[in-house]
Amino acid sequence: MGEVATGQPVSIELTFDAASHSVDAIQRAAYRFSDRVSCELVSGETEHRCVLTAAADVNLDALAADFRTEVLDQVLRERIRAETEPIRTMILAQAFSRTGVVDPQGHT
Amino acid sequence: MSRFRQLEDFRPQTAGWELLPFRFERLNGRVLVTNMVGEHVMLAAEQFEAFAEKRLPVDSPLVRRLRAKHLIRQPGDRSPSTLLALKARTRYRRLAESTGLHIFVVSLRCEHSCPYCQVSRQSGDTERYDMSPETAERGLGMAFRSPSSAIKIEFQGGEPLLNFGLIEEIVRRAERRNCDERRNLGFVIATNLALLTDEMLEFCARHDINISTSLDGPADLHNKNRPRPGRDSWELAVKGIRRVREALGVDRVSALMTTTKASLGRVREIVDCYLEQGLRGIFLRPLSPYGFAIKTKSYSAYDAERWLDFYREGLAYILDLNRRGVPMTEYLSAVILKKMLTNREPGYVDLTSPAGIGIGAIVYNYDGSVYASDEGRMLAEMGDETFRLGHLATDSYEEIMTSEALLAPLEESFAPSAPMCSDCAFEPFCGSDPVYHYATSGDFLGRKPESDFCRRNTAVFKHLLGLYESDPSARSTFLNWVGR
Repeated sequence: MGEVATGQPVSIELTFDAASHSVDAIQRAAYRFSDRVSCELVSGETEHRCVLTAAADVNLDALAADFRTEVLDQVLRERIRAETEPIRTMILAQAFSRTGVVDPQGHT
Repeated sequence: MSRFRQLEDFRPQTAGWELLPFRFERLNGRVLVTNMVGEHVMLAAEQFEAFAEKRLPVDSPLVRRLRAKHLIRQPGDRSPSTLLALKARTRYRRLAESTGLHIFVVSLRCEHSCPYCQVSRQSGDTERYDMSPETAERGLGMAFRSPSSAIKIEFQGGEPLLNFGLIEEIVRRAERRNCDERRNLGFVIATNLALLTDEMLEFCARHDINISTSLDGPADLHNKNRPRPGRDSWELAVKGIRRVREALGVDRVSALMTTTKASLGRVREIVDCYLEQGLRGIFLRPLSPYGFAIKTKSYSAYDAERWLDFYREGLAYILDLNRRGVPMTEYLSAVILKKMLTNREPGYVDLTSPAGIGIGAIVYNYDGSVYASDEGRMLAEMGDETFRLGHLATDSYEEIMTSEALLAPLEESFAPSAPMCSDCAFEPFCGSDPVYHYATSGDFLGRKPESDFCRRNTAVFKHLLGLYESDPSARSTFLNWVGR
């Protein structure tokens, strides 16, 4: 990780291990940060390279640290979504229908 | 043999637990976790990590707390999914009850000339700017096609009292129809009260009509915001409020304020003014980005951060009043807290998803045009008819309620499937506002990282949660406001 450009605007390149970070998680983080930074994402087999570009007065190191935290949170959200998707679907189906989609034991 | 089952019977059938759907946001070292219906806990960061990584022992107090909030369930737990489904159904119950609020713009004429108002004309041309009885009758036909068991008819303008004869006609006809329909029928007149007469009050008393008026604060502020010949808008408003209270009862009049640049820094005076008029609640709301508010630069006169300072100071003052035994409610906070702390959906159209346009409220304009919301007709007055759903003379109920002009913004702005909103822990407290985002960013959804709607609401949610968690006195007042 290091600064790759000087002058205005300023950029920083981050790399993420492709085995533990999905493109979707990085894109969701980039969207959340899109009021502060633009993000160019290049996806490879082993790693994703992400170039963040911001205005000159932005503290890039702090921004990069926040971005990394957000990507990790998005990875966690992705896991929770996948893990709870069946029960979420079942609960919504139960909420909006009277078809008895829930079995009497309360399992999905 | 004991008449009671053994303690063992009430223990989980097997060890371990599993996650139920949840969302989270980090807030200054703590983590807000909300379940599918907005019930929430605030956790320390370490607690959250242990929860998310499923490292908590099954007999820990935190697991009990998380179970109680339907964030986890243990194998054999039978009630969480059923209760979550019931609460989700309750949350969306209003959809089957659409449309509850029907706004009749009985006249566009007004004797005021407020700089931020786009829906008024200073004109004596009744032919051109007043709703006709035929249009009103068609509007009533549309209103009673709604499946809602409760129908509220609100008269707006311009200044609706300038066409009071039509208000009388609509009220009588609605009551006649309701002899068969048997809906929960209510009426509201949104008026500046300047033209209020004793005869009008008698009619309102006979027909249980409520009054909603405007009060921006002290006389100089109100009169600056709301110019009229004689510069006596405030004097007429407060006199009118007193007369309505005397004639109809103390709870039959409410007031709304508009926050202009001149209001900033004067929130305590504004709250005091409401108290002096016997009003026990105030809605600290920002200016809307529509029509003349944009044209006259009123809207751009202050940003979200300045409004938030105004709101936070006002709320602190109101909480202090409550601490000192003076009951006063801040309505925006109360609506949000109701969503945070109860399973009741307050139905405030700016904080619902799907959005409240058309299905929460609908507008019948003086000329027969039908709009998805009051803000939609404000845009139309400035030449943008994006939210015009049809016309009472030519379009049926089915055509209007299934029009692309209504369905497209409802579908495109639906928060649970919107970028960023779908992950946001605040989403159950928030809503969709396609008219706002269309007016500010040109599309129904808007880009939430740059949206003042998102910035403002998120800041309010955080502020209320912070007070609720850290200030026992504020917590007590909040619980009182939501009726818990």
